[in-house]
Amino acid sequence: MKEKVLSIINQIRAAKGLEAIPTLNLSDSLRDDLGFTSFDLAELTVRIEDEFDIDIFEDGLVNTVGEICAKLSK
Amino acid sequence: MNYLVTGCSRGVGLEICKVLLEQGHCVYGVARSHSDSFSQLEKEYPDCLFFKNVDLSDSDNVRSILFKDFVSNKVILHGFVNNAAIAYDDIVTNLQLSKLQEMYAVNVFTPMLVTKYAIRNMLLHHTKGCIIHISSISVHTGYKGLAMYASSKGALEAFSKNTAREWGALGIRSNVVVPGFMETTMSSTLTQEQKARIYKRTSLKQATDIHSVAEMVAFLLSDKALSITGQNINVDSGTI
Repeated sequence: MKEKVLSIINQIRAAKGLEAIPTLNLSDSLRDDLGFTSFDLAELTVRIEDEFDIDIFEDGLVNTVGEICAKLSK
Repeated sequence: MNYLVTGCSRGVGLEICKVLLEQGHCVYGVARSHSDSFSQLEKEYPDCLFFKNVDLSDSDNVRSILFKDFVSNKVILHGFVNNAAIAYDDIVTNLQLSKLQEMYAVNVFTPMLVTKYAIRNMLLHHTKGCIIHISSISVHTGYKGLAMYASSKGALEAFSKNTAREWGALGIRSNVVVPGFMETTMSSTLTQEQKARIYKRTSLKQATDIHSVAEMVAFLLSDKALSITGQNINVDSGTI
């Protein structure tokens, strides 16, 4: 699961011209550390939902990589 | 191109389907009930026209009903035409909350949710898609008995304007077509005298042509309208 999330994050970073991150750091802030805007977060949500059939934004805001992983491993 | 059209089985929705199919597009049609005219279209376009029977007042289940089984992520959606609506015709002092809520579910809440999932589909595929809401001239002129109905369409106009602002940076457009009074089942309860009075308030002195409305929708969906977003386009026989 984490490999797939990493791949999705890097796919979105690549489209923004940002270099790929080598590993997932659970404490990373999606906005501050990964540089995601609200549009990027929307695309992240859509891509994760397409892969895992879970809407990570359904019950409130998600701020960190760790929060995504927690929602996906429920 | 693939387009989702609600209220596809009769009136303006049916005409929109016809125009889009004639232009070679695929239509995912949604309606409460089927109709003979729609069946005829299905026979003419068996590979490009798909139908789903949906009760749009069920806002809670719109995602699973429409976007899981019908317009799934495998379908690249290029546009959503929000045409389905129900009328609630009464004077304000007779307003009933349950009827108001049912109308808002069909006319406003479900279309907003469908817009959410349509944009999500566009995000997944990086599609510069287009959303069209069908409004009503009653928002702008006012008619006795239409305050509640017009308020729901006014909500859509505001929603469209702000959707356009929000998603324009990604090339996603949102516009509203504002038809005048048409000869559809929705206006069938009006008497000839009432209709005559309404048409007298137009420059062309006649009902709005359904085909003209459908052609405007098809134009706004197309690349010909690439620079048009956040607009309300009146197709109303020049209603004064």
